[in-house]
Amino acid sequence: MRVSGLPIHFSGFARSDGRVGVRNYLVVLSSVALVNRWAELVASAVPEARVVAGEFMRGLRSPDALRQERASEALVTHPNVGACLVLCHDAASARLWRKYLADCGRPHAVLALMDQAGMEAAVGAGRQILSRLDDVRRTVERVPCPIGALTLALECGGSDPTSALVANPAIGLVVDALIGAGGGAIVSETVEFVGAEEPVRDRCPSAHLAARLLGAIAAAEERMEEDGERYRGVNPTAENIEAGLTTLIEKSMGAVAKTGSRPFAGLLQFGETPATPGLYLMDTPFFSPCSITGMVAAGAQITMFGLGVFNPSGNPLAPTIKVCGNPMTAARWRDAIDVDLSEVLAQRLSLDQAAQRLGESLVETAAGRETQAERWREGQFIVPKTLTPL
Amino acid sequence: MSEIERAHVVVDARDNVTTLLDEGIDLCRLQGGLKVAPGIAFGHKAALRAIAEGEAVIKYGVAIGRATRAIGQGDHVHVHNCV
Repeated sequence: MRVSGLPIHFSGFARSDGRVGVRNYLVVLSSVALVNRWAELVASAVPEARVVAGEFMRGLRSPDALRQERASEALVTHPNVGACLVLCHDAASARLWRKYLADCGRPHAVLALMDQAGMEAAVGAGRQILSRLDDVRRTVERVPCPIGALTLALECGGSDPTSALVANPAIGLVVDALIGAGGGAIVSETVEFVGAEEPVRDRCPSAHLAARLLGAIAAAEERMEEDGERYRGVNPTAENIEAGLTTLIEKSMGAVAKTGSRPFAGLLQFGETPATPGLYLMDTPFFSPCSITGMVAAGAQITMFGLGVFNPSGNPLAPTIKVCGNPMTAARWRDAIDVDLSEVLAQRLSLDQAAQRLGESLVETAAGRETQAERWREGQFIVPKTLTPL
Repeated sequence: MSEIERAHVVVDARDNVTTLLDEGIDLCRLQGGLKVAPGIAFGHKAALRAIAEGEAVIKYGVAIGRATRAIGQGDHVHVHNCV
């Protein structure tokens, strides 16, 4: 164990379903893109309200429709949500939402635009209910919760050589410590694992799981080749080799390093909630707003995001800890990065000390310290589609 | 930080290579005291111990390749001696 001192408990929100939140957000969900503007207008009256609005649409084909429905349901009942107002377009969909939320164990309300009499009245009705939900939400207090109730979403973006050597390995050490304490972590972006099949296989406790994980990686590689992109064979590129990368495994491990060294516990589909603690691979596209949406929908309460050059991506429902090992990026984006580990490069900080600092930041963030992405209100929700909508 | 020793990082305790973190390619010593061959650029690897021909080259705690010939302690490890 190279990161010590993760406390047994942190101060969090115990939800009625047994899950634990690190925030008590007031959320306005726009259940279909038709009412995104209504949601914005309603939410603007309560400073702390957060809008969950994606490109939620009608006419999706069956697997895509199901994925969108599950993701929006999971997001609005996420453990970081203290109260929610769901806005719908029509009365029929409002009825379905009321039924779904009946047992969600937190203050909630559902409104349909078609039940309102004009925009002004609609905005007024929404704001009135939202302000009431806000009052109820504020009565919920933090209590000691086990640190092992946390699940991290693992992400990297703007990757450069420092990501592979500093930010991602430091995240990996914290993941090892958190899983050791009974917690969980989800990594995604399947295509990034192409080339790292052997190390992944070595971390699978069963041949069955290895076959599932390697199958997902092979399928992602196949889809890439369908678009005319050959990855294996041209990687590492001449530029990579000049930068010091010798083999494809070494290149891929730069990203895989953020998963630490513990065994994989399973493979998840987009937005699927893990059944047990431990480390999971979620099969998602590589675009970070999309992959983070999937991991947060699965219940991850905090995102650990390794940076080389800057990437603004975050998520409105899970605080994002931006971790950077590049001294130039850390200096230029000081107001948008949470943990600056660039001293590792100058040898003023060891990787273990860097991970220790990151572990402390994790605990402080879980207990309520605002992250930069929260301060800037960064965040997108993107649910992938596989078929052209009707 | 010493001016005569090179900054480097060993990612995992099981690794037999370390990655150089500075541009001091004329220097002959790593921070921590190990001797290192001159000329190894930022981001490139040096052997932490002798690696026999055919032996795994380990970084991130995993085999990233195999030595295609014997590699001495402190030598540059790259495509010329590892695949």
